[in-house]
Amino acid sequence: MALLDVSGYKYRPRPNSASQFGFKQTHFLDRSIHYSFGTKCQEFAVPVGVDPSTFLKSCSCEDGVSIDLNHGTTTLAFKFRHGVIVAVDSRASAGKYIASQDVDKVIEINPYLLGTMSGSAADCQYWERLLAKECRLYKLRNKERISVSAASKLLCNMMLGYRGMGLSMGSMICGWDKQGPGLYYVDDNGTRLSGRMFSTGCGNSFAYGIVDSGYREDMTVEEAYELGRRGIAHATHRDAYSGGVVNLYHMQEDGWIKVCKEDVSELIHRYKKGMF
Amino acid sequence: MALQNVCGLQHPPLFPEWSAPLSQSFMPEESTPLFGGGVQHGGAFSARLPGRGALSPLEFYMPISEYLTQSPINFGQISLSSAPKNLLNNNIDIIHPSMPCISLPPPTPCSISPSVPLPFTLSHGTTTLGFAFQGGVIAAADTRSSCAGQVACPNAPKVLPIHSHLVGTTSGTSADCALWKRILSRELRLYQLRHHRRLSTGGAAKLLSHMLHPFKGTELCVAATLCGWDGGGEKDENHAITQVTESDSSSQSAAVCKSKSQQVVTARSGMCGPRVVYVCSDGLRLQGELFSVGSGSPYAYSILDSGVHWGMSAQEAACVAREAVYRATHRDAYSGNNVDLYHVTAEGWRRRERENLKDEYYREKEKERKRVAERKNEKKGV
Repeated sequence: MALLDVSGYKYRPRPNSASQFGFKQTHFLDRSIHYSFGTKCQEFAVPVGVDPSTFLKSCSCEDGVSIDLNHGTTTLAFKFRHGVIVAVDSRASAGKYIASQDVDKVIEINPYLLGTMSGSAADCQYWERLLAKECRLYKLRNKERISVSAASKLLCNMMLGYRGMGLSMGSMICGWDKQGPGLYYVDDNGTRLSGRMFSTGCGNSFAYGIVDSGYREDMTVEEAYELGRRGIAHATHRDAYSGGVVNLYHMQEDGWIKVCKEDVSELIHRYKKGMF
Repeated sequence: MALQNVCGLQHPPLFPEWSAPLSQSFMPEESTPLFGGGVQHGGAFSARLPGRGALSPLEFYMPISEYLTQSPINFGQISLSSAPKNLLNNNIDIIHPSMPCISLPPPTPCSISPSVPLPFTLSHGTTTLGFAFQGGVIAAADTRSSCAGQVACPNAPKVLPIHSHLVGTTSGTSADCALWKRILSRELRLYQLRHHRRLSTGGAAKLLSHMLHPFKGTELCVAATLCGWDGGGEKDENHAITQVTESDSSSQSAAVCKSKSQQVVTARSGMCGPRVVYVCSDGLRLQGELFSVGSGSPYAYSILDSGVHWGMSAQEAACVAREAVYRATHRDAYSGNNVDLYHVTAEGWRRRERENLKDEYYREKEKERKRVAERKNEKKGV
């Protein structure tokens, strides 16, 4: 499909994806089962006759079935002099059941862009992989890396296309481009904010306390690692929906490196020596 | 009221300022004819401790139903003429037709009066915290009182001293907290007068929790952290609540237990020392080492978790508490303005000067700026 795009092959998008089955030209057509940036109409394959917004309203109101999407996680990222630090926990919860303690909540879009995930795991993984595809296409077309600002804008526009349809995603796009280290927060509502420090998920308030208090613009790299670890460790200590291990990444000028993967219980025991 | 109780009057007459006690042994004929016509506004309520003779289990005053219909503040209340009456009331009606109708305590106050619709949604925004360490207990809180998205009062005191060795932080509805704190103070003072010693923090918490229990399920919202020092020795009645300004805050509990007592009462072993108990109007009562309550509590918790340990000094403890409240006010919209800090030791509570956090914010910014400039100069110099 990428080759088709690059070679400029034109195809006519059909309004109803279901009608494409059985046509002669199907093998040339980009099956609209995923978002294609640049087309005028939305091509996500929604089942015919179903309106997502009304369906979801019925799920969330009191007299209907109540599907409560919990953003059970803690992720944090902050910019400092030597780049961007990204730290996430690794617990996936389904209601009160811990589905996994070892989930990867950072998606490595490319060697110089990272995206974090919070909210619905499925939504995050899907849309960020789509973002990875778009970033790759951009690089092929324009022969230079996409900027962090543009990448976050792509993701934001994807979210806006499905606004009100029940997507749940809170993500931070981190990278290093020509303007230096970049950090953007993108939301399923279409919020896109550039900032120095963000934390998402239900454990975010705990992380904010630690990082606000320990942040210095001219921290050394080791201090920054420690701050990121502490933020996640304390958040997992108090928040029931966060836990597992801390995955720590450092975005440098020439790409990101994965710093460590440490169990939070060990970290907490180290930090709270006096209490135990 | 205190004087009567101490004197041991069995059946206190009805006073217009307080509601009638709802004891089983209420004797209408002993009531003084202090009522003029109509209903008094004795709608306040308070509780009595057991121990007043063989009389009573814990008795609770309930709001007199008439008060609610006659109150000048009518939040769209419906008429309560259908409130349940009982045989006692019939007696009263015969003897004193002007007396207010009093219902015997049902299991919950809900059956006396239907819940009153509030004029606006209450918001409970605050940051309060309390923790114990070797040098006593620290209780700290912000001072912003918010109401429906606006700051009603930027200087509200949220840490209220209850008696010389006990302070309570308050969170929830300010009115409820202030009232119940006063009721608790009164009851603890009575206890002290009767038994010649202070009630322990755990005991005070239990008392508060039981007093709040009948209101479970109503709109009452009180979440208090009682922070106190349980001493062993007896404190005489002249020991006023003074601000001890210069006392050494890291004194050992053992030494103080034996000091300043006129009549030594054998203290229960192992009960001396700092104590923090959380009491909530849902009925929850938890003892612990560290609590933070309010909308800003998550921000404070992480700082407290990383900074508090048993062996810390009083100076460090005050710093951590201040920092925790400061960070919480920085991120939480419903907390802010100033920080109040109380330190409770064996000698009593001591209050630190109220600090404005806006100044703290600018001071920190200034420090940061200076440090970055310094580093730049260093680099230039090298």
